Amino acid sequence: MSTTTAVAGAPETGRPPTGPPPRATAARSRNRWAPWLFVAPNMLVFLVFTIWPAINGFNISFYDSRNGRTFTPVGTGNYTRILGDDEFWGVVRHTVVFVVAFVVVTMVLATALALLLNAQQRGRGVLRAAYFLPVLLSPVVVGLIWGWALERRVGLVNTITEAIGLGQPGWLIDPTLAMTCTVLVGVWTHLGFYALILLSGLQGIDGNVYEAARLDGSSTWQTIRLITLPLLRPTMLVVLILSTITGFQAFDFIYTLTGGGPTGSTTLIVQYIYEQAFESPIRYGLASAAGVILFVTIFGITLLNYLLGRRQEAV
Amino acid sequence: MRSTLISGLAAVSLATTLAACAPGTSESGSGADAPAPSGSVDLSSFKGKKITYLYFTDGPDEAATRSLLKEFESKTGGTVDLQIVPFADLQQSLQARLSGGNAPDVARLADLAPFKDELMDLSGVVGADYADQFLAGPATAMKDGDKIIAVPNDLTMNGPFVNTDLFEKAGVPVPTKWTWDEMVAAAKKVQAANKTEAGIAIDKSGHRLSTILSQFGTTMVGKDLTNTLDEAKATKAIDSLVTLIEDGTIPKDFWIESGSKYKGANEIFLAQQAPIYISGNWQVAQFADAAKFGWKAVPNACAERCGGFPGGKYTVALSQSKEPEMAAALVQFLNSKESQATMDAASMWLPTRNDLIEGKGVTYPDRQADMEVFTADVGETPEDTYDAVASPAFGASATVLVEEFAKAVAGQQDAATTAKNLKAGIDQAIADSK
Repeated sequence: MSTTTAVAGAPETGRPPTGPPPRATAARSRNRWAPWLFVAPNMLVFLVFTIWPAINGFNISFYDSRNGRTFTPVGTGNYTRILGDDEFWGVVRHTVVFVVAFVVVTMVLATALALLLNAQQRGRGVLRAAYFLPVLLSPVVVGLIWGWALERRVGLVNTITEAIGLGQPGWLIDPTLAMTCTVLVGVWTHLGFYALILLSGLQGIDGNVYEAARLDGSSTWQTIRLITLPLLRPTMLVVLILSTITGFQAFDFIYTLTGGGPTGSTTLIVQYIYEQAFESPIRYGLASAAGVILFVTIFGITLLNYLLGRRQEAV
Repeated sequence: MRSTLISGLAAVSLATTLAACAPGTSESGSGADAPAPSGSVDLSSFKGKKITYLYFTDGPDEAATRSLLKEFESKTGGTVDLQIVPFADLQQSLQARLSGGNAPDVARLADLAPFKDELMDLSGVVGADYADQFLAGPATAMKDGDKIIAVPNDLTMNGPFVNTDLFEKAGVPVPTKWTWDEMVAAAKKVQAANKTEAGIAIDKSGHRLSTILSQFGTTMVGKDLTNTLDEAKATKAIDSLVTLIEDGTIPKDFWIESGSKYKGANEIFLAQQAPIYISGNWQVAQFADAAKFGWKAVPNACAERCGGFPGGKYTVALSQSKEPEMAAALVQFLNSKESQATMDAASMWLPTRNDLIEGKGVTYPDRQADMEVFTADVGETPEDTYDAVASPAFGASATVLVEEFAKAVAGQQDAATTAKNLKAGIDQAIADSK
């Protein structure tokens, strides 16, 4: 390949050009703006529907408003009230329990599923689609379907448990069972998505590494522990961050599954925010303050996950 | 690194600048609205004009409303754009439209408190003594000082229904008047004889629980935002209900599952799994269609007091209306004696006008006797229940009632603690409403 054609329009004088010709400068200038033009429509939507409401929400958190039209400044009053509210701390406890259980169970099952799918030679596509299917369902529908299945008296699950002599557990009536069901339904919904991300990570690992391990006599377990998992760590970090954010944001399927009950035991922070904002008595300022607290928490935990992950990768 | 720092600082400064701007308007004023109409209204002056009516429907009332609007249009030569939204979206939808300066001219509302500052004073059109045309109870919420801000369009009354087939099979006579203890005894006997899932079904609703509180002698809020809960009486009411739940007369799961969200127990009654169902007159139209068994409305049981618990909807005109006179005229037209009689008969509603309660009243095309049971209970219902339901703090107090009651049902607290927590919750609701 001729090196002189590397710069379009450069005169073939045998000497390198001293500066870019005018047409090249114009093209470069166009090229500099092109990416911005491509992302502009999306950025505009993001600015109008995400950034602006977020800034506005932060602003409103310093006011008291019951109708969204008249606002009374209260300084940090909303934050003081939330942080001194027993109900809020109860909701925080439930949220932490949910997020920890959801993330741990999701990470373990999604990794196991990805390893199995990766090892599967036949029907991998069909299995992948089957596990991904719940991701395509509306969370509201997921909540309703599992609500019917777990209903104590006539639900599908208890029809089976009663037939085999296990009685009729109150899956959505007992606070501990209700939280367990909420976590498992959440995992069921998102498992396929995270398994798919991990599967793509597994398929990115160089096959020669496995071949070398096999020649060295490594067992399957040793291969997974010493080769697969360390090389999969960057993808696992992505899944860890995404599942943590999803856990903190969980609301819609829980609202239709348990409504936050029994007696508030599955009410998480997003439902708390929703109820403050849209149920009587309306407290937009308080809801916005809780939203800001949630944002700061998610941002902090995500940053921590990211930094710890980066440090381990470096090691 | 430097550019990242600059971008970060720019973003922070932008956010801080924007955050420094006060959102919306201050409490002192809410913009330049059209002046309230006054003087006599000439209907022909509305020719060619158009107003919007934000509405939610309970079902059979929609056709009757459309028919009345056509009549109004033919009388005035104007147009009314009926905009129907689901009840669940009504409050948010109206709040958003008010914020955007795009409010409807007229609206049908169940809760006036969040919109009180946005409602038009109708007294200039309907007259200062207009409230006298309405029952004293529903009229409580009509006035804000000297202003007339809303007109009660339909009255609801909580009360029980019985499955007469199940009562007959159990050999228990259908009551024409009964005490709380007699109702419980009848429920248990009919439940045992028919092996139904429950003896009494009651909607999961703070409004419905307020009926029981009232029958045991107390309400939650009173006039001038006072906390009227009598803890001893509330404890007795809660204890009675929890006992009935523990012995299986009232279904337990129903009260614990689905959080504190409203849930109707009509499906239990329609499936003939409870011989008694405590709900309200709005179920009459539904049961007339859906019930495949004998049923009838019966009077509320008396404990310390008799009667049910009221509710209702209001027709209002919004201050943002560009056609305030036409909006006020529509509100007045929809609540005239003739219009209310038409609406009530078609929709199985109870009237709010004195001239429709007194004398012959409303003639319903079906289930006249059942509607008369509810009408009779209007007279038995204590006045303080109207003060309670008209209070801006009622909605929030009702939510606390359901939440605290569910804890008692789950065995997390006794009735006395429930009543104590309820009292504290009502205090908070009142503070939030001021």
